[in-house]
Amino acid sequence: MHLKYESVIREPLVDGNKSYHQVTEDICATIENKPTKLWTIGFLISASLLAFGMFSVTWEVYWGTGVWHLNKTIGWGWDITNFVWWVGIGHAGTLISAILLLFRQGWRTGVNRAAEAMTIFAVMCAGQFPIWHMGRVWDAFFVLPYGNTRGPLWPNFISPLLWDVFAISTYFTVSLLFWYSGLIPDFATLRDRAKTKFRKAAYGVVSFGWAGSAKHWQRHEMLSLVLAGLSTPLVLSVHTIVSFDFATSIVPGWHTTIFPPYFVAGAVFSGFAMVQTLLVITRKVLNLQEYITIGHIEAMNKVIVLTGSIVGVAYLTELFIAYFSGVLWEQEAFRLRVLGPYWWAYWAMMTCNVVSPQLFWFKKLRRNVWFTFFMSIIVNIGMWFERFVIIMALHRDYLPSSWSYYTPSWTEVGFYLGSFGLFFTCYFLFAKYFPVIAIAEIKFILKTSGENYKNKMTEYEDQTNEHFLEEQTHHH
Amino acid sequence: MLNQEFKVPAKLKTTSLTLLAIGIVTLLAGVFTLLMSHDQMSQNRFWAVLLQNSVFFLLISLASVFILSATSLAQGAWIVSFRRIPEAIGSIVWVMAMIAGLVLLTIVWTNNHHIYKWLEDGYIVHNKLNALKNFFLNRNFFTIWTLIVLGLWSWFGIKLRQLSIKQDSDPKGSTKTYWLNFNYSAGFIFVFALSLASTIPWLWIMSLDAHWFSTMFSWYTFASSFVSGMSMIMLWILYTKRHGYLGHVNDEHIHDVGKFMFAFSIFWTYLWFSQFMLIWYANIPEETIYFKIRMHGPYKFFYWINIILNFVCPILILMPRPNKRNYFVVTLVAIIILTGHWIDFYQMVMPATVGENWHIGWFEIGIVCGFIGLIISLVSNKLTKAPLVPQNNPLLKETIIHIS
Repeated sequence: MHLKYESVIREPLVDGNKSYHQVTEDICATIENKPTKLWTIGFLISASLLAFGMFSVTWEVYWGTGVWHLNKTIGWGWDITNFVWWVGIGHAGTLISAILLLFRQGWRTGVNRAAEAMTIFAVMCAGQFPIWHMGRVWDAFFVLPYGNTRGPLWPNFISPLLWDVFAISTYFTVSLLFWYSGLIPDFATLRDRAKTKFRKAAYGVVSFGWAGSAKHWQRHEMLSLVLAGLSTPLVLSVHTIVSFDFATSIVPGWHTTIFPPYFVAGAVFSGFAMVQTLLVITRKVLNLQEYITIGHIEAMNKVIVLTGSIVGVAYLTELFIAYFSGVLWEQEAFRLRVLGPYWWAYWAMMTCNVVSPQLFWFKKLRRNVWFTFFMSIIVNIGMWFERFVIIMALHRDYLPSSWSYYTPSWTEVGFYLGSFGLFFTCYFLFAKYFPVIAIAEIKFILKTSGENYKNKMTEYEDQTNEHFLEEQTHHH
Repeated sequence: MLNQEFKVPAKLKTTSLTLLAIGIVTLLAGVFTLLMSHDQMSQNRFWAVLLQNSVFFLLISLASVFILSATSLAQGAWIVSFRRIPEAIGSIVWVMAMIAGLVLLTIVWTNNHHIYKWLEDGYIVHNKLNALKNFFLNRNFFTIWTLIVLGLWSWFGIKLRQLSIKQDSDPKGSTKTYWLNFNYSAGFIFVFALSLASTIPWLWIMSLDAHWFSTMFSWYTFASSFVSGMSMIMLWILYTKRHGYLGHVNDEHIHDVGKFMFAFSIFWTYLWFSQFMLIWYANIPEETIYFKIRMHGPYKFFYWINIILNFVCPILILMPRPNKRNYFVVTLVAIIILTGHWIDFYQMVMPATVGENWHIGWFEIGIVCGFIGLIISLVSNKLTKAPLVPQNNPLLKETIIHIS
């Protein structure tokens, strides 16, 4: 048996005096109790936003995409901004569950379930935008390479827009499988604790007859590893391909080689900000502060300052190379970004994404819940502006007579609000009916990183290094 | 058992000094036959080879400082078992920095416009578009920025090792130095972002092709140096282990270093491919010219061998778990990666400096030997100066029971 030991220099990942049973009790409580008033109000607000979004989209489908304020010069507006923004947000979950798993980061267990759920909902929201942008959505299946009678396969295989279809649908599928396979043992726990017949039957169906036998756990672990392996490249590939949508073109401001890694860093940045927004509230409302500790929040803030700085280096690199390249179009595109009609968007982006996250260099601020919540909103605003700034490179093309300025119509705003409705409706349902923290995974780290267990580790801390080494390497 | 003092094996000493001697003799021979020759291409070859090698070996040593800082910030325990090795490599950065600085500044101050085209008198007049470039590409800026960056890199390399050694004599259980090291690491990462991850590769390498530009270039160079630096650390761990040191470093730690070599080889490929594919796809002549000479011209061989050694080999060989725990296999792959990335730097430097007259001959090989000898003798000497185990590191016990 491997020694359950962790250095005292690390703070506990589970606070308080917890046993395995107590963990189950704490996490299942919200699911087994009646929904609170706060939950009901929140859910109703989200559902009405969703309804308004559906109305806006119906309006757009009925009248055509003409009701959006897109024009010949600016063919992409809020729709693609929102698409990229949501896809980006959908990156934190898989990064936490796959890459942090490979990096053996124990703190991921407190936040991975909610982050993965958020990923799935965010990707669902993202998918809406290109689909409804098609206008004639009944032809949406044209993006799929189905066999047809028109001769060669329909889609254009050298278009990054098509690669997007594959990348995002793969990402969605694998993330969903990963999330769901993690949920199975927890659903079984809920089933076993269920007091009503209906609940027992429902959780019984979704837990696929999980019995918790050694063989089940063995297969479960195997599956997790395989899915983690599959997801890791997907974390990079999805936003890489989204960036190709822009970077393969020859539009000044879009065609730049740094786009793929910089988009990925930005995606992780915004994803973690959204995880913070949701979890700061969730831990408070569901009383889970002992599982999502200040330490968890600080760790995620570190990721935010890191990725925010990477993005910052990329912004400055872009600016510098535009100047250094000597390409007049490129220089003009960047001059317009900084000082042109959309200057306000550029400076909003710079302030929110590069300047303000630098405050997280201070430990005090990283560990301040209110400040974290405030910053998470700021970062999400900043990352929305980043996509808007990039897409608005379109507003002045090579022909001055077609220069234009774009503001969204009410249907575009309604559509965006509707995506929030979809996202939060899903999240509220998730928070009520699913265990928001992975029960089995918390138990896995409890005896290494739980506060009460860590307190007992002084006996190892007091041993000399030689004695410790001797004991651990020769006794088994 | 834990308090091991490294003694340089006699054979290693002889080998390193022999390699160093070969390097010095080659350099002298180079001065007489290449530098003093009347053939412009021979002179270019002399400087290009020195530039490529001094920068390459500087950056792969610097990678150790980066790896230490990054793992300190992430509070990684796995590296603690062998962190004295990257510390030793990091603390010789100043020597490599002096050599690279000497080479770079000599090229710049002798106005060698055959290497850096932007040094040519009237470069601006020839081409109006270059006027702007010269705010960046000029002798004074080049010198000042190079000196500042080299100074900072060297200082951080020495400082991180000093702090770690200081911890050995701290009272047991004291975490003051640990957190101090954490803060210095953050400082280094900041410096690193503004130097190697952005400005320095533009200034030293990308400016060889003075007209060409790519926003990805610096990150791609970083990835190249990082994975090579990791491989160099791997070779040192295995060497010291084979000679009976670092007994507490086991398959789990080796496996982790192997994972980094594997993962960052793919990461390098990702950046390389993104840069290449976007330029290929957009097909703008100003940009594709860079790949024209490399892909279709005289550097075709290097273009493909670069991908084979740096991507195909690591991904296929290191994919299975047992291979990452097999000392022979990881040694082999570490050597492949180091060779591969040396070639990567070779194809970054040579096309713009010697054009189709490339050589891999006595001079290139001799200079490489010299640098290898220098690194071996400096690092092995540093390793004798401090115990191989950071006794008081709060993560030491975790690293002992580490599971990869």
